[in-house]
Amino acid sequence: MNTETLQHPRGAAAGKAHAVETVLSVSGLSPQAAHFSRVFELMVVAAIILLFTGAIHLHVLLLAGDWDLFLDWKDRQYWPLLTPVVMIMFPAALQGIFWTFFRLPIGATVGATCLMVAVCITRPASFMWWTDYPLNLVLPAQMIAGAIVLDVFLLVFRNALFTAIFGGFAFAFLFYPSNYTIFAPFYVPVSHQGMMASMADLIGYVYPRSATPEYIRIIERGTLRTFGDSASWVSALFGGFICIFMHYAWWYLGVTMSSMKFLPNNTKVMALMGTKADA
Amino acid sequence: MSTLTSRDLNSSSTQDSTSSFTLSYIWFAVSLTVLTGVYMSYRFYQQAYGMSAGLDSTEPIFQEIWMRLFWIQLPVLFGLVALIQLYLFFTRDRNIDAITPEVELKRYFYFTMWLVVYTFTFYWIGSFFAEGDGNWHQTVLRDTPITPSHVVLFYACIPVYLMFGIGGFVYAMTRIPAFCKGISLMHVFAVVGPFLILPNLGYNEWGHAYWLTEEIFSHPLHWGFVILGWNALSLAGVLMQIISRLRELLPIVFKPENA
Repeated sequence: MNTETLQHPRGAAAGKAHAVETVLSVSGLSPQAAHFSRVFELMVVAAIILLFTGAIHLHVLLLAGDWDLFLDWKDRQYWPLLTPVVMIMFPAALQGIFWTFFRLPIGATVGATCLMVAVCITRPASFMWWTDYPLNLVLPAQMIAGAIVLDVFLLVFRNALFTAIFGGFAFAFLFYPSNYTIFAPFYVPVSHQGMMASMADLIGYVYPRSATPEYIRIIERGTLRTFGDSASWVSALFGGFICIFMHYAWWYLGVTMSSMKFLPNNTKVMALMGTKADA
Repeated sequence: MSTLTSRDLNSSSTQDSTSSFTLSYIWFAVSLTVLTGVYMSYRFYQQAYGMSAGLDSTEPIFQEIWMRLFWIQLPVLFGLVALIQLYLFFTRDRNIDAITPEVELKRYFYFTMWLVVYTFTFYWIGSFFAEGDGNWHQTVLRDTPITPSHVVLFYACIPVYLMFGIGGFVYAMTRIPAFCKGISLMHVFAVVGPFLILPNLGYNEWGHAYWLTEEIFSHPLHWGFVILGWNALSLAGVLMQIISRLRELLPIVFKPENA
């Protein structure tokens, strides 16, 4: 960067004009080309936000769905393990795409924000307004904190492997504490018909889901309760371990899926479409 | 610090030799507006008739409200899918090799608009109505494959995104040289993957009829949808193909007079 670009003229209009001239000189484009280039960028941003909002939500919905959908599924054993493992996949792919092709360390945060926006629209629109569940029962988890840390690790290391090892682990390990403030009030023990339950359990009992009966709820099985209060950290630790590999695999899946490969078309099809093979 | 808009960049005193280059956004805006209206109408229809007429498929009111909608929309939407592809094919450029860089650039922009509309339709099926479907099935016992949520999600949203998914593919193949001479592998994945969600519905319904009469949303029975949804990632490859060509075309089409 030359020193001239750092000298900003006084006044908003003059500053903007100076910025325009700088952008044009750096890009090497004419004003009209830069204008249409910016129009194209806006369309790409719209496409990416819409596409990944749909894709990430579908992915999380069908892989971690029940643990993210319902308050009484958010236990100490499976929720801190499964949810971050599922949630890191698309953000890792987006990181791979954004970093490899554009040197932008924002992929994970973009992915996490897309998911957050999607669930903030659908939970009220579906669960509250269509089937009359209270929003408390269907509060979503958030992964924005972990995603920001993941992007910061990428910014610092500038390397996929180290981002996977440290960032992937941190993403899962931070999942439970970064959501705890939202869900802690629902872990308060209550007495229900002479037995101890959590407030989350009680809300689940009061609003039965006809096709999701209590007996299929997969929470805290095995000897978990003998672990006392360290159970959630063990799950987070294990989740972090899996996330390291998951991040690395999905980073390269994202890069691979951005391939610009064209396969040769059939000459007859080409002729039908209006071109010649040797043209 | 404010962001520079496209208008700011175009207000510079330097003039281009190709100042006549313009784009029409009319069909782009019309598509997004009409689609928003259609999707919102479907949601209001679900709100109005889901609980009152959609709980028991053996009742006459279910046939009247939901099956009538199903049988009307199926030929209309799939008919529109076919009509759009036929229109694109019969109005194709019959001499793609002769197009100017300006026309090619314009077509790349319109192709990107096709993709934006396609992603808009993907949002509604992947996020909005997909979670609505989960919500419905976890709440109401499933006694038919054509539930109020499925009528919208699978039999309306999928034909709509086929219109724009296949439409964008045919548009590129019939109007853009690179996409005519070669088949974009990632574009095939981006269109075929989400399309296969519809046939995968057969497996889903079969599994729900024989294995899993309750609804666990993260059950392996649903993972087919997930893997097909992953193909959405490949649209990034299509955008990369467009970007790489745009980098070549922009300086050719917009040559500064003082260059």
